[in-house]
Amino acid sequence: MKISTKVALANALLGMADDELVLAHRNSEWIGHAPILEEDIALANIAQDELGHAMVWYTLHQQLTDGDTPDQLVYFREADQYRNVQMMEQPRGDWAFTFLRQYLFDAYEQVLLSHLSQCSYQPIVDPAAKIKQEELYHYRHSALWVQRLGLGTEESHFRMQRALEQLWPLAMQLFVPVEQNQLLADEGFFPELLEMERAWQAMVMAHLTSANLQTTANSDFITMPRTAHSHHLTELLGDLQQVARVDPEAEW
Amino acid sequence: LTQWPRYEVFKQDKSNKPHEAIGTVHAPDAEMALLNARNVHVRRPACHSLWVVPESAILKVTAQQLASHPQDQADENSTDQHYEIFCKRGKRRSMIAATHVGTVEASTANMALSKMLEHDDSADVWWVVPQQAITRSDDELIESWFEPAQHKTYRHQSGYGKVQVREAN
Repeated sequence: MKISTKVALANALLGMADDELVLAHRNSEWIGHAPILEEDIALANIAQDELGHAMVWYTLHQQLTDGDTPDQLVYFREADQYRNVQMMEQPRGDWAFTFLRQYLFDAYEQVLLSHLSQCSYQPIVDPAAKIKQEELYHYRHSALWVQRLGLGTEESHFRMQRALEQLWPLAMQLFVPVEQNQLLADEGFFPELLEMERAWQAMVMAHLTSANLQTTANSDFITMPRTAHSHHLTELLGDLQQVARVDPEAEW
Repeated sequence: LTQWPRYEVFKQDKSNKPHEAIGTVHAPDAEMALLNARNVHVRRPACHSLWVVPESAILKVTAQQLASHPQDQADENSTDQHYEIFCKRGKRRSMIAATHVGTVEASTANMALSKMLEHDDSADVWWVVPQQAITRSDDELIESWFEPAQHKTYRHQSGYGKVQVREAN
């Protein structure tokens, strides 16, 4: 693989890993606070799965770059070195916001992992196929909550619609082309994201419409690159990295 | 605040094993109950198929109750339906509330139990579950719901070192 391709693919993997990590952290904030014990356990499970997936992508990133370990990447990068989309770093919000964010991401992962399970870089293929299976279960869970709240009471519908208005523009950042996207797509390493957006839209729009939810106009779309972050990420990392940074040399 | 209804969860470890009642979940409806059952009860253990049934739909009878239990009269007009029969014998495997032992066709749950008892009345507890009250995990879900766990070695007890108490000299 050419060096420039390698760097671009490693960056794409870092974005995937950071998305999973930051979302897992936000979902883990519900532990002990979810409205019912069963859902508390479910969300903890989902968060733990996403953390596991992040670990897989960080490890592949390390192999490709011959660089930092997952722990170094997670605990010792500053906010501006993270490559997650801003949707993931938003505070956890209410139950509707939490599950709509999860749903939009789960649908995106279904599309992305379908592509990656046929990736030309062999080490990505197996984990992508395996993770896609596990994600299908997340997808079913989050899709069900979106539907139940969308079609539920006046208040649940109001909250889900409000969450959609907040999240819809943010979700579009998932499809902002990564560095050298065209090159990666041409060589079969990473899908062309603008093209992927169409498959995602078709999947998501049908479900949202069936849940009586309306998306907002296209003009608000966020097209900033993954290098841009809000203050929410800085605060999140303050929590996440606090212990590790007290004693960076400590062995765990 | 109202509590969600309770569902009994039945798990089948392998395709050739019977379904077993392994616990309960609360959920607003059967589909959610199935998802919650997967999360709460089968994130790690081996599983081939999962059923959930509203607890209110199940007839549960102990051997002690059987003597005084009112038996329905056969109603000529009501149509037969299928019931899944579960039972529990003795105190072994205390985590399993009841194990599937057969399917019976009858007009009511009590009639189904009577039919079952003609063949076998040796159990301590009987559960009669109308087939139509069961929500099942479909085969498509096996890969997504149950298989990922098999690759996770940390779920196996053997993957953990033993803790030994050292004798004080």
